[in-house]
Amino acid sequence: MAQESTEIARGLRRRDPDLLDRLIEQYQHRLLRYLVYLTGRRELAEDLFQETWIRVLERGHQFNDKYAFSTWLFTVARNLAIDHMRRKQPASLDGLMDNNEDAAPFDVPATVSPSAFDLTLQREQGEHITAGMQHLPAEYREALVLRFQEGMSLEEISSVVRVPLGTVKSRIYRGLSALEPWLKGAQL
Amino acid sequence: MNPKTNPATNDDAHKRARTLITLAGPEALSSDQPSSTAWLTTHLESCASCRAFAENAAETIHGLRAIPIAAGRTLVSTTQTRVRRRALELQRQREHLWLVSISCTAVTLCTLLSAIVLWSGFEWLGTRAQLPSLVWQVGFLIFCVVPALVAGILLLAKDKNNNNDNDRLAHHAGSYQG
Repeated sequence: MAQESTEIARGLRRRDPDLLDRLIEQYQHRLLRYLVYLTGRRELAEDLFQETWIRVLERGHQFNDKYAFSTWLFTVARNLAIDHMRRKQPASLDGLMDNNEDAAPFDVPATVSPSAFDLTLQREQGEHITAGMQHLPAEYREALVLRFQEGMSLEEISSVVRVPLGTVKSRIYRGLSALEPWLKGAQL
Repeated sequence: MNPKTNPATNDDAHKRARTLITLAGPEALSSDQPSSTAWLTTHLESCASCRAFAENAAETIHGLRAIPIAAGRTLVSTTQTRVRRRALELQRQREHLWLVSISCTAVTLCTLLSAIVLWSGFEWLGTRAQLPSLVWQVGFLIFCVVPALVAGILLLAKDKNNNNDNDRLAHHAGSYQG
């Protein structure tokens, strides 16, 4: 992992476009998923996705190879999302909470599963959780995505979100607890 | 006091169990904290409410992981193209900056050399013409400053002229549209 980070750092300092192409391919789904959950809007997430990679190109020399590239990438994306929301509304991540009822929420594509029954169950459960996620404060949503979708360690989340470890733990705990009723709704 | 009958201890145990379940995820505990895993397993065997909580948490986490959000091919290729274009721009800017710095260095060196040569020339002329030092030194200053002053005045005049032309064109276009 350390060697990979060193190679990425070297390539980013050179602004190697081939390396960036590879990184975009490699992190496309993870980054987009994070941004979609962070902003709650697919269109905005796609704009920020592009801006994030431009920022990675421009500020690549700031990447410290002691850390995982994904941690730095998510930090860059998060800062851009916050900047965007601050420009639109002078509030922090709470501004991300404002859900536009008309906008397509989370735009969940169909899943591929072995049977139609499984597919329906999974889709319903996904829809309920997606709906639940929309009602969570952005900071809980973010913590849940980083922990359970990106599989980041608590320390990594703490460094991306720039809050103490205890706050990360409480956000995950509260976020997951807040999602529970939505999942129960799916089972009714 | 028996810890099993102490409500405060029980509350702590439930809280600890739920925190462990939430933070690590039931499947992740085994590799992270073996002692906590053993404790949690024992606790879950005897506590129905925490067991239910663990099942719900596991389902929620599974549900979260199962939601697929994928980046489209167009988004990826558009991003790659934008990044490549920006990389080219930055490279051009860097080359431009490099050229400007080389030019600046060359100009500075030439100015220094010319100043030394000119100073000696003015000194020689002043001595030959038996002029006081102050005169040829002022002459040297004027010789150095005047070209820069003239160039500055010409550039300002050109800029003003361009602005006037633009105003006239805008006025002309406006009269067509009106």
